[in-house]
Amino acid sequence: MKKRFTDEDVLLKIRDLKIEGYSDETWVPIIKGVDLTLHRGEVMGLIGESGAGKSTIGAAAMGYARDGTRISDGSIEFDGMELTTASETERRALRGSRIAYVAQSAAASFNPSHKLIDQHAEAPVHYRIKKRMAAQEDAMELYERLRLPNPREIGFRYPHQVSGGQLQRAMTAMAMSCRPDLIIFDEPTTALDVTTQIEVLAAIRDIVDQFNTAAIYITHDLAVVAQMADTIKVLLKGEEVEEAPTREMLENPQEEYTKSLWAVRSFHSPQRRRPADNTQPVISVQHVDASYTGGEKVLDDVSFDIYPGMTVAVVGESGSGKSTTARVITGLLPPSSGQVLCKGEPLPPRYQDRTRDQLRQAQMIYQMADTALNPKVRISEIIGRPAQFYSGLRGPKLKQRVDELLDLIELDPAKFYSRYPPELSGGQKQRIGIARALAAEPEFIICDEVTSALDQLVAEGILKLLDRLQSELGLAYMFITHDLATVRSIADEVVVMQNGKVVEKGPKDEMFTPPHHPYTDLLLSSVPEMDPDWLSTVLEERGVDNLGEAADV
Amino acid sequence: MAIFVILYYSALIGASCLAAYYNKRSAFLLLFSLTLVSFVLGIVGGPSALRTVAIFAGALALAAGTSYAFREFLIQITRPNTARELRTAPLTASFGMFVIFAYTIAGIFAPWIAPHGEAEVIGQAFQPPDQSMILGADQLGRDMFSRIIYGARNSVGLALMATLLAFAMGAFAGLYAAVRGGIFDQILGRIADVIMSIPSLIFALLMLSIFGTGLHVIVIVVAIIYSPRVFRLTRAVAGNIVVMDYIEAAKLRGEGNWYLIRKEILPNATAPLVAEFGLEFCFVFLLIAGLSFLGLGIQPPTADWGSMVRENATLISFGDITPLIPAAAIALLTVAVNFVVDWMLFRSSGLKEQ
Repeated sequence: MKKRFTDEDVLLKIRDLKIEGYSDETWVPIIKGVDLTLHRGEVMGLIGESGAGKSTIGAAAMGYARDGTRISDGSIEFDGMELTTASETERRALRGSRIAYVAQSAAASFNPSHKLIDQHAEAPVHYRIKKRMAAQEDAMELYERLRLPNPREIGFRYPHQVSGGQLQRAMTAMAMSCRPDLIIFDEPTTALDVTTQIEVLAAIRDIVDQFNTAAIYITHDLAVVAQMADTIKVLLKGEEVEEAPTREMLENPQEEYTKSLWAVRSFHSPQRRRPADNTQPVISVQHVDASYTGGEKVLDDVSFDIYPGMTVAVVGESGSGKSTTARVITGLLPPSSGQVLCKGEPLPPRYQDRTRDQLRQAQMIYQMADTALNPKVRISEIIGRPAQFYSGLRGPKLKQRVDELLDLIELDPAKFYSRYPPELSGGQKQRIGIARALAAEPEFIICDEVTSALDQLVAEGILKLLDRLQSELGLAYMFITHDLATVRSIADEVVVMQNGKVVEKGPKDEMFTPPHHPYTDLLLSSVPEMDPDWLSTVLEERGVDNLGEAADV
Repeated sequence: MAIFVILYYSALIGASCLAAYYNKRSAFLLLFSLTLVSFVLGIVGGPSALRTVAIFAGALALAAGTSYAFREFLIQITRPNTARELRTAPLTASFGMFVIFAYTIAGIFAPWIAPHGEAEVIGQAFQPPDQSMILGADQLGRDMFSRIIYGARNSVGLALMATLLAFAMGAFAGLYAAVRGGIFDQILGRIADVIMSIPSLIFALLMLSIFGTGLHVIVIVVAIIYSPRVFRLTRAVAGNIVVMDYIEAAKLRGEGNWYLIRKEILPNATAPLVAEFGLEFCFVFLLIAGLSFLGLGIQPPTADWGSMVRENATLISFGDITPLIPAAAIALLTVAVNFVVDWMLFRSSGLKEQ
């Protein structure tokens, strides 16, 4: 992995780049003077929280300013060509042929009504680099190198006919179609499950290596960037914090901010045990089968118990039935057989048939705080409504209760009482979502991927808050997540789900020590670690053809 | 005459030079091309053609000036939040708002503004304009100007009532259908389809000849004709909102449908609905004017723009513009409302100019 770069190899040189964005009728600086030097064949990881300007720099490397932004100062030199002063036609000629871009969501970036291989061949044919047939042959070869199953045929499918991880690899192949000098990867694996992520990472790393392509790898996941990058650049609010070769950066970060990023994963809440006396579980899911109208079984004989004051993490890939289980518990999806008990009493299967008190007991916190809070309703009303609805509080008493709840989630009541959700940041919105759940005074809260849309530092804050509330109010959580780092830090018990079945369940310490169920083992070993050699080690252990979806469980 | 021509050209050329000096590219191009066109026009049409151009340009400038001043006025008198929104309004929108404002004043204060009663015969039939009647008299010798003023109250008031009723029915049904879903949604949707499948003017004529031409009949019939469109739009807008997590959270809390509609969905659906209201108002207004023109709308002697066009229609063959005045009043209001709606749609669609 060790490469040495000399000054002659410089491919992309960005000096004192400043970018401004238009908001509230003025131009606000987004990037405040960033330098970047990228050599041929070098992979640079850009990391930072959302809003740090990672993607904006990525786009600027193609000489592109997104809608509502402008490059106000600085120079971008790509292979001796100054992009800031180049004409739009000249810049356009570069994109696709010499600089390629791989987007975060391949599913949203492919045109759903054209076959993959036609989209693949578009750029080479357009730039007259290859004839259509030659481009298609080349596509198949690339598919094979990226270890896509059935490489000669998969290109003739439409984007919805292949899985997310395969689509992401097909997009990488597409980026490679003109053999560009530089590829910009904008969070290519963020939307994928860990088991899928690993094979995409391996494929990307291989192909970038084979063609000696330079790459800018944008992500917020440190462990991922540690596998991919030769150098890491840390960004904060549009400014560079530090840059160093990967190993150096991991072993010896210089700046405080970088150290805090490294330390994020250290939060651990002490593990609780089930009560020894025969206390009834708050929620007991018993032999539940469920399916959406007329479809196949989505849940198959799912059972687990959640005891008061404990956190049960439900993990699994997307499509494993985690969220469906939550829908069954809340009553949104009546099970086709089996039942859900609340403190020993069966809950009516449909939420419409439940009493107000039964509804109050189980509250939900959603993944996307943006869609979970009504943008046109004041914070005071969002939090106040459940308190008013369930406890009948009014007037000054209601205001006092709302203030109390805002204090509980560490937001200043005077400042936030009469604001609207769009005025808040992502973390603050999630806190409001928590306050709304707490306002009902429940004993049990379902947390559906509450931290997956947040930055690591913010997510850490939310986890700590949830943990504190749990010990203060004696809440039980059902924690739905696919992030095993979260599970390690907050869970007491773990339920592993696959294809609608519970494959393993038990206390956290047992679950994280071998022997595991093979699927649990696959999940655990697929979580990237901070060690830069991790990916190579795993690949050696499993063999390149036995990854992710292909892995035999 | 010669002095006017000299003044005309010197003003144009002077303005072009100023624009060029201050680097106002588009203004310069406009002014100077107008100068060039004027050379040709002056040779072909003589001073009278130039005078027409001058009057037209003056009227346009006056309208632009009025809209600008009116927007500034609105910005001054409204609260900071509304004022910030108004600042983004284009001149066309503020022109539209000014016209709507003027019509509202005319409609509300009609008895005080109009010099004569709407049914008062004060001169001979088709008397030309003079001191007491600035727009002349209609076919029965009534003051045209007074009838236009009263017409603002009758035609616009009726259209407004019909639109409001159509919205009350359509929006409520649409919201309820989106929240309830299932068979209820299906039934309402099919009813809307049936109403929409009948040509609207024929349906209105049929209903009005069955039930007579009372004001309440017109309002109800027109409202029924237009409510399915509102229903469809509302249902589509609400359909996108009911799938949000905050609606799920409210449902799981045990909230009733009425609360969901009122507190959770309606605040998020107002922008497109208000824009649609303006648009529908124009259609309703034109339909009622059309019905009046056919003699099935508002009955004489009540002043109404649609019937005024018909009553005075014979005059058009004598080259008199009197019958076109109420028609112009209808056109102006429709255009004005559309200007405002365009701006609102632009805002609610979230399009931003680059």
